[in-house]
Amino acid sequence: MQLKRILVSIGGASVDPDVIRLATTLAKPAKAEIIAVHVIEVRWNLPLDAVLEAELDHGEEVLGAAAKIAEQAGQKIETELLQARDAAAAIIDTARERKADLILLAMPYRTRLGRVYVGKTVQNVYVGAPCAVLAYRQEAPQ
Amino acid sequence: MTQAAWSAREHGRASIREPVRTPPDDGHDRNIPSLEKREWHAGHKPGDRTVRIVRPGAKMFRRADGQWIATENVLEPTGAVGRVWSGVRRALVGRPLELGAEEGQRVSPLTGLAVLAPSNVSSSAYATEEAMRALAIAGAAALALAQPIALAVVAVLALIVVSESRVIRAYPNGGGSYLVARTDLGIGPGLVAAAALLVDYILTVAVSAAAGVIAISSVLPQLAEHRVAIGVGLIALVALSHIRGVREAGLLFAGPTYAYIAAIVALIGVGVVRVMSGNIPAAALPQSGLGTPGLEAVGILLLVRAFSAGAVALTGSEAAANVVPAFKEPQVRNATVTLMLMTGSLAVMFLGLTFLAVRIGVVPDPAEVESVNSMLARSVFGDGSAGHLVVQLTTALFLLIAANTGFSGFPRLAAVLANDRFMPRHFADMGSRLSHSFGIIALAVIAGAVIVMFGGSVNALVPLYTIAVFLSFSLSQAGMLRRTIRGNERAKPVWTALHATGAVIMGSLVVAIAVTRISQAWFALLLMPLLVALLYGVRRHYRDVEDALTLSAPSAAIPTLQPPAVIVPVGRIDRAAVQAVAFARSISDTVKAVHISTSRESGAEFGRRWKVLAPDIDLDLIDSPYRSLLAPLLKYIDAIDKSDDRPITVVIAEFVPRHWWEWLLHSQTATRLKAALLFRPNTIVIDVPYHFEDTADLAREGTKR
Repeated sequence: MQLKRILVSIGGASVDPDVIRLATTLAKPAKAEIIAVHVIEVRWNLPLDAVLEAELDHGEEVLGAAAKIAEQAGQKIETELLQARDAAAAIIDTARERKADLILLAMPYRTRLGRVYVGKTVQNVYVGAPCAVLAYRQEAPQ
Repeated sequence: MTQAAWSAREHGRASIREPVRTPPDDGHDRNIPSLEKREWHAGHKPGDRTVRIVRPGAKMFRRADGQWIATENVLEPTGAVGRVWSGVRRALVGRPLELGAEEGQRVSPLTGLAVLAPSNVSSSAYATEEAMRALAIAGAAALALAQPIALAVVAVLALIVVSESRVIRAYPNGGGSYLVARTDLGIGPGLVAAAALLVDYILTVAVSAAAGVIAISSVLPQLAEHRVAIGVGLIALVALSHIRGVREAGLLFAGPTYAYIAAIVALIGVGVVRVMSGNIPAAALPQSGLGTPGLEAVGILLLVRAFSAGAVALTGSEAAANVVPAFKEPQVRNATVTLMLMTGSLAVMFLGLTFLAVRIGVVPDPAEVESVNSMLARSVFGDGSAGHLVVQLTTALFLLIAANTGFSGFPRLAAVLANDRFMPRHFADMGSRLSHSFGIIALAVIAGAVIVMFGGSVNALVPLYTIAVFLSFSLSQAGMLRRTIRGNERAKPVWTALHATGAVIMGSLVVAIAVTRISQAWFALLLMPLLVALLYGVRRHYRDVEDALTLSAPSAAIPTLQPPAVIVPVGRIDRAAVQAVAFARSISDTVKAVHISTSRESGAEFGRRWKVLAPDIDLDLIDSPYRSLLAPLLKYIDAIDKSDDRPITVVIAEFVPRHWWEWLLHSQTATRLKAALLFRPNTIVIDVPYHFEDTADLAREGTKR
């Protein structure tokens, strides 16, 4: 599979740096572009383009950190900050619009009732994405 | 976009790639330019919509706490020349530092010792010599008096240390003598102290550079004739290191500082052992000869003169109190420790060197080519020995960086004065490396000029230096005395006596130097009142400006002005002129064009063409038979101004060439007109630039049509 464009979704979790490094590892041999996306999920009681200062600041910080990590790994990345009702739909639409070949999802290690919990965003992207999807699950804490 | 159109987008019927605009009735005016735009995108499925936060200047500005923060990228130049200059600047000065990085620029006591000690400890390189030089007037026998004089100076130094450590505790924000005198004695004495401190710092730099050159010429006498040029060059070098930032300067100078201390301690150690063991070395003589022996009798005036000359060792002791904020936390403790360390080292070195000089019998060089310390090193280690070379090398290096304290203190004091509106505001601005670059450059220029004025002679500069230092000390002591009397602290009588003694000794020293060395001290005595007058003048100006600009109430309503009367000077009918006239018409209905012609025929022709181009805009044609363009235009604006109550607005069309050198090919009429109108009251000048690249756009537009 010849990768041209990888879309990485990051949510500001501790797994983000690993996913960005993985993306750069995958992108380098194929000289593929990396687009890092952070989606702010806007609650239904607010307008979709509401100015959410704290979330915007956090999003900017998350994307800035991702750009820095990629730069350290010798790769320049493009960043996008989005607001949507549903993160999965926004990721899928952006991947479709930007013609991404691969969506790389960051999956923090979380458990519910003793089992690893796969969030709805990962599930929905898996189901609805037009391209290949790779979810990177964080390793279990020792 | 209409609400209907918006609804269509809302329901996902729009193309994915086409941004969809948000509804206009949501309370936000999307037409206001912003660093952050929101683009609406319809999703693949109905109802899936996304708002993309588009930041055209994302690299230049980042968000934090609801504000925009300019990043380092805004400093990146765009042109080739700018990029080269920026590269050179970074190589010399370093990368710009963010404001939060200031903490990292603060120094520990050990680095503080390296930064501040040079000016204080470096006086050990010439204090003994200065005292001996004053005593030499009474012949070689009088030189023995240098020892008791050194002891007296060290006793005064101890008094200053105790007093300065109290200043550090009382004024943890720095400012030293200026702040003490200003707070405790009033603005007048405060400004005198400030002027004295400024002169002190200037002369710290000048004296250190001059003494450094002598240390070099002690080993390489052929360089003595170039001492002014070398001194100025060295000042420039130290200034540059300071523009890079205080901490880096400290690290850069730590090596030479500690090397000098080690070399002098070794010299004293070996010398004392040889003297005590009875193996007294033969005194080395000055390379340029002994000169005429002095015949003056030893009297009180000579002793006072020698004491005041030897008291140059006290200079620089105030440095730690002046720059307390430059230290790491706990700042007061670290500043006090640094003060103790540097004055302790100085006392040991000054006493040791004086003891050796007297016991060995070294005499100062009348031509100021070789220093007493160099002769001492030659006597102890042997002529041309490695020991002599090491002492001279470390002394030279150390003296060069002794100017460092001046560069640490002057910009900070100038910033304090600028914040108090006594000095121009540029002195308070921090440079890209968080150093007060303007103050550093100003100090380098003034100190360089002083070196040139006094021919790089340490002997000529020392009286100026000491008079300034002792004046600031005496005012600081007087301030602390008043503070102690007013206060209610423990051991009040002890501190009162201490500060009273300090004030009297320092005041007496000022008078003594003024009387005994008036031929040299006149410069400082003239400069300080001048500086005080200047500081007052600057303050008065800023107060006037503040009075004129201050709003009467914080909620003062912004007045609504009627559209101005607009004048558009038009030299020729071209795209730039059309753009300027179009802009003028967008801001007011009262637009008048004016054309200055050099002949009636060309004026008439211009009028005919204007009627075709803009029949609705009034044109005044002025014939200027003397071929002057600006003078008739300015008089025309004066006349129009008199006939209309509204502020005159002059809209100037300015052609901007693509490259800087293309400016030379144009007459710069717009620039000259802007300059002429700059100071004209009741006049608003608007420049409408027309960039050369725009022609291509217009050409494309024309093709489309």
